[in-house]
Amino acid sequence: MTERDEIDVLAGEYVLGTLDAGERIAAQAQRRRDRALDAAIAAWEERLAPLAESVPPVAVPKDLLAKIEAKLPMAQPGAQIVALERRAQHWRRIAIATSALAACLLLAIGVREVSRPQMPTTYVAVFQKDDASPAFLLTVDLTTRVLSVRPVAAEPPAGKSYQLWIASERSGGAPQSLGLIEAKQDSTQRALAAYDRATVERATFGISLEPAGGSPTGRPTGPAFHAKLIKTSR
Amino acid sequence: MGVRGEVPNARMAGLALLRPAASTAATIVLLLERVAAQDREAFSALYTATSAKLYGIILRISRRRDIADEVLQEVYVQIWERAAYYDASKGSPITWMVAIARNRALDEARRKKAVSIEDTPEVFGIADEEEHPLERVEKSQQLQRLSQCLDALDSDRREVVLLAYREGMTREALGQRFSRPPATIKSWLRRSLLQLRDCLGQ
Repeated sequence: MTERDEIDVLAGEYVLGTLDAGERIAAQAQRRRDRALDAAIAAWEERLAPLAESVPPVAVPKDLLAKIEAKLPMAQPGAQIVALERRAQHWRRIAIATSALAACLLLAIGVREVSRPQMPTTYVAVFQKDDASPAFLLTVDLTTRVLSVRPVAAEPPAGKSYQLWIASERSGGAPQSLGLIEAKQDSTQRALAAYDRATVERATFGISLEPAGGSPTGRPTGPAFHAKLIKTSR
Repeated sequence: MGVRGEVPNARMAGLALLRPAASTAATIVLLLERVAAQDREAFSALYTATSAKLYGIILRISRRRDIADEVLQEVYVQIWERAAYYDASKGSPITWMVAIARNRALDEARRKKAVSIEDTPEVFGIADEEEHPLERVEKSQQLQRLSQCLDALDSDRREVVLLAYREGMTREALGQRFSRPPATIKSWLRRSLLQLRDCLGQ
């Protein structure tokens, strides 16, 4: 075997998990000083990742999130700085690849982009009533007001539909339908076009389980769960 | 179901998170960015969107709920701490999170050195039930490609790779399972890994 083969086999066994305790610790130590091994491990993680698709999700005990949140270290400015530095590095890399003058300009733009928070445009909401319920991810681009809802693990019971609602000040807080989630994409994607940005930003969204074809009354009739949008600046 | 129709049936719905649907991954990337900036709301959203998947993966390896519960907690604390180091140009956010989860679960399994005897039947139960697991799931393109390469391996060797990845079995445990000495498993793994690497073309 070539040296590369040796590294790839060790990395492959590390990722598969077949190393015994001693070998595993040794591989972790070697990884820290051996870039080739580190890269080989990352390559195997990527190659084998599709296998994780076939492992079914399992409902998580309810109290775990609260336990995790209690363990999160207090806010450190460090992490934010790392994220910003990485972006600055990205700009620097681009800058190095261009002429000196262009480089200065790019760097200036890059630093501004980094130091001044941009107007958030993409908002995300996650819906889940409890661990046994389906989860949905709602993404809204506030600039274009295009929304997309995707189920993380959701299938309506036979003869039922999921329906998306918005409750905003425009309707005095009453929920108004944004369409069925299983309907054609356009029906919900463009449903926010009639709402202005500020209204959408403050609105509450809801998803309810309705008879197939949607609520017969124009109001949510089935079990519903709600979420507010979270800003994700982009 | 699904607004864009990419989750047409229940089986796929369960897998939605790990499918290459670009915008699910993109959403997770957005959430990770917020988590990197220490946004707790984004963290809880990320947890809601991903925890059942990671818990399933961890439980397979840890085999015991109490251990899996501990591991899951540590995994999400790590995700919180390391979110700033996630680099979207280097791979999907799901792969990144799955790697953290599997690593922690494997570390824990090796540290405890053990699966007690009463846990073992559970392991075999899971494995037997899933004799042809790859045929039963709707496959992403990457999984299809990997399956083709796995199919080129002898069936025992393929099974060894799958059991190792999903159940986190050591060479010794695999040796017992296949009635072979661990050294034989080691040489199977060696050849399978090189063959897989070459088959996947990288």
